[in-house]
Amino acid sequence: MTSTVVTVLSSPFGSETRTRVMLVLHLLEESYPRELARLLRVRLASVQGALRGLERDGLVAGRTLGRSRVFQINPRYFALAELRPYLSRLAEADTLLRDRADSLRRRPRLTGKPM
Amino acid sequence: MVSLRSVALAVGDALRRAGIDAVLTGGACASFYSRGAYHSVDLDFVLAGEVTRSQLDAVMAGLGFRRHRDRYVHPVHPYFVEFPRGPLAIGDDVSIRPVLRSSGRRTMRLLSPTDSTRDRLAAFYHWNDRQSLQVAIQIALRNRVVMERIRRWSAREGAIDKFEEFRAMLKAARKRLR
Repeated sequence: MTSTVVTVLSSPFGSETRTRVMLVLHLLEESYPRELARLLRVRLASVQGALRGLERDGLVAGRTLGRSRVFQINPRYFALAELRPYLSRLAEADTLLRDRADSLRRRPRLTGKPM
Repeated sequence: MVSLRSVALAVGDALRRAGIDAVLTGGACASFYSRGAYHSVDLDFVLAGEVTRSQLDAVMAGLGFRRHRDRYVHPVHPYFVEFPRGPLAIGDDVSIRPVLRSSGRRTMRLLSPTDSTRDRLAAFYHWNDRQSLQVAIQIALRNRVVMERIRRWSAREGAIDKFEEFRAMLKAARKRLR
């Protein structure tokens, strides 16, 4: 389910989706397009478009894992040392997004164990 | 069969003659220095300065390439050319000094063997890509590289343990060659 969200924060990475994709990848270390779309409550195509642009800009790196593309902040980005604290600062301000990321279960679960 | 080396030289030389500052990096550069031990069909040239899409289109069209989205493909051979966004950097190091390589009347700019080794090692350090480690060894085996520069940069990248693994494997490979 997607809905239009009123922009309340600045978008220093070019658009709200691009900026929030950067923030989620910073918070979660890595993610995939469907998870990002779920967390950001935007269409999958928007996330995929944002990821393509961020990848072209060298800010994000993607690799294939099984049948998924998994993305992370590009560890080879030349200004990574400056980028990380900046993203931390931006994430502090986006409490809604931080709460959503914090509520995500990512720890391992034994195969077959009921949820 | 056309080789990656000849395509890289043709593209690099044409860009240079058109006044476009472009440096061959990545897998194609590694392939160049590893002399076939690693094969790539993807030629990445990092651009410096202002270049328009139409300037690039014109130079590439002169060599028979046509643009498909951000990639230039050739109707005859499998090699394709991309221009990833800069700056030219290896990890946090932006003070990269490209070198010139010539063959016949053609000259191109590319990473030095030391920087090409670092470029491959970065993939090993950050993604644990062991294929890149092997390619870095092949480059260092076949070219003169400045190990101290690689060691200092590796320390800055927080990868001194992986650098030591690279150094030990390179030493073993050199021993096998003797």
